[in-house]
Amino acid sequence: MAKDPRETRIEDLPGPKSKEELEEMKMPYEEYCKAQFDPGNEFSKPQSLKGIRWLSTTMYIFTPHSVSNLAELGADVIKVEMPRMGDPMRHCAPFNETYLYPLHDSRPMTGTGMGYLNANPNEYHITMDYHLPEMKEAFYSLVKMSDGLTECYRPGTFDRWNQSFRFLQEMNPRFIYVWGGGFGYGPKCFGGSYDILGQAHAGLASVTGMHEYMGGHPLKHSNWCIDWYSGTQITFGILAAIHWRRKTGLGTMIEFSQVQAATRCLGYAAPLYGRFGIVRQRWGNWDTQLCAHGIILCGKSDFPDAENPQDRLEARYAMVSAFQDEDWKELCAITGMKDLMDKYKSNNERAEGEAQIEIYAALEKWAEDKSRGEVCKTLQDAGLLAEPVCNDREYYEDEHWRMRGTVRWMDDPIFGDILQHGTYASGLLSKTPRRLFWIWRPVGADNVKIYHELLGYPTKTIEEWYEKAWL
Amino acid sequence: MCDIIWCKKDFEGKPCNTINYLDPYCFWNWEGTINCAECGAVYYIHMIQGKMYRGPEDRPGEKPDTSPLYADKPLEGYRFYGAGIPDRTRPFECLPRHIYLGVPDMVKFSIRNRPVRGWRPQAPDGGIAGSYQFNWDLKRLSPDVYEEYQQKIKNGEVTEW
Repeated sequence: MAKDPRETRIEDLPGPKSKEELEEMKMPYEEYCKAQFDPGNEFSKPQSLKGIRWLSTTMYIFTPHSVSNLAELGADVIKVEMPRMGDPMRHCAPFNETYLYPLHDSRPMTGTGMGYLNANPNEYHITMDYHLPEMKEAFYSLVKMSDGLTECYRPGTFDRWNQSFRFLQEMNPRFIYVWGGGFGYGPKCFGGSYDILGQAHAGLASVTGMHEYMGGHPLKHSNWCIDWYSGTQITFGILAAIHWRRKTGLGTMIEFSQVQAATRCLGYAAPLYGRFGIVRQRWGNWDTQLCAHGIILCGKSDFPDAENPQDRLEARYAMVSAFQDEDWKELCAITGMKDLMDKYKSNNERAEGEAQIEIYAALEKWAEDKSRGEVCKTLQDAGLLAEPVCNDREYYEDEHWRMRGTVRWMDDPIFGDILQHGTYASGLLSKTPRRLFWIWRPVGADNVKIYHELLGYPTKTIEEWYEKAWL
Repeated sequence: MCDIIWCKKDFEGKPCNTINYLDPYCFWNWEGTINCAECGAVYYIHMIQGKMYRGPEDRPGEKPDTSPLYADKPLEGYRFYGAGIPDRTRPFECLPRHIYLGVPDMVKFSIRNRPVRGWRPQAPDGGIAGSYQFNWDLKRLSPDVYEEYQQKIKNGEVTEW
């Protein structure tokens, strides 16, 4: 210790005393990451959006997901659904047998489909028929004490109901208003949207799937990936608007066309057209720029005796990448494609359509008598990039994701044991990680909490509104 | 969208009138013979990129290469042949899961044998204006499942993953 206690000396401070000691004390990167992210311990850390309150008058996946991102990061989100019915997504797939109950005490035999999962976690679920003049006061009260709202009605509907940005801004100048929907203002403003419409109309489906002469068609992704993608894009907009508001004190209106958002995934398509007049085409499981860099079909399944046909018949696809010349030579040496190695020496030659057809056909011929696992192992052992095309079960059983906590079980307070991958797969944050409190709540489950505890309406009024189906 | 073979052969004293659907994933680029799901008549077709390039031509006595996936008889109401009827239609290879019940399956336990909740019939009343409590108390609301769960714990059937 120095004589004068006010003096700070490096050797008195905790921690390493020299550069060598510092190096010695550093934990391996793997350990460091484990300690930083500490999967399973998210709830002991702060939430970055704590203090933000958001209203969600949204339906299906796209706009709800824009808000669920906030809820997972700690915002208080109030999801407002139509009385008795709830979000129509609750009544969508998949299939009756996977329904989760309860939906609502007025519909004891109807549940919520699993399609609703992941789109509305951590939210308070209330009901309100907000277009009724009688409910305007409650709606406006919520607006006054919230930071923003996301809605998904046809453009101008909320304006007609006196609750669009220009009305709400007068009550709460800091209010951030999000409209998310199909086309946005413009000649097609009345066009609604679904994920499939976004994928189709934005041009995305036209470049997905194999070429027609190989028996392919424009394909949509099986899941609603443009719903999830556009929703996340909105969340970026909201976070930027919150940041802007910290600087200016003013709210923003965000107008977000789902169809427009999907074109963002098309990368260079528009510039390519602009410069050369070339319209991009489909190229399926292969790559237009790189070869070999695609998914091939192997002859045998990795699980030939499995009961489940998804394992027994489908575990036959492998992603193979060897587009750099060195890797390409290695690939040709392993697979015996000596003639192709001489024929297509550079990636530019290999990336030509005719070359790709020949190369992938030869690769699949080589893989004809091999299982997916054998193909991947052979190529990986040679230092090439190859991975099996996995299904959900394999993802679930993968030690890597389990260790990182991106797939995990949780005990939902109402619905019990739920396998979860959505929240925790959306990136890790060391200080303020996402977390999942509950997957969703029944229709109107938080009516008392919000109307009574937050807004101060007596329970008698709430019951009266409920009887009239205003709630 | 798909092409069809409308079979109008005489069968059991009246026109067969069966529509055999040529599902595009199988028949998009295809050449060979196919049977009618009702009367078994064999037709030759050659399709190129979803267009009927040749056929359907009769090939009596030949063995069909394949069958339609699905066929129906629209003039006779809702009579149809679903997928996978031997000698009539092809099996449906779109891989439904191996256990297909066709009826609501109110599972009470997850695949790792821990109780799921929120099944039918639900509690008759959720409280004021449908407000549910934050917790579904298994022991109180579903004592039978709770008992079954205790048994599973005792048997060591409850796992982490």
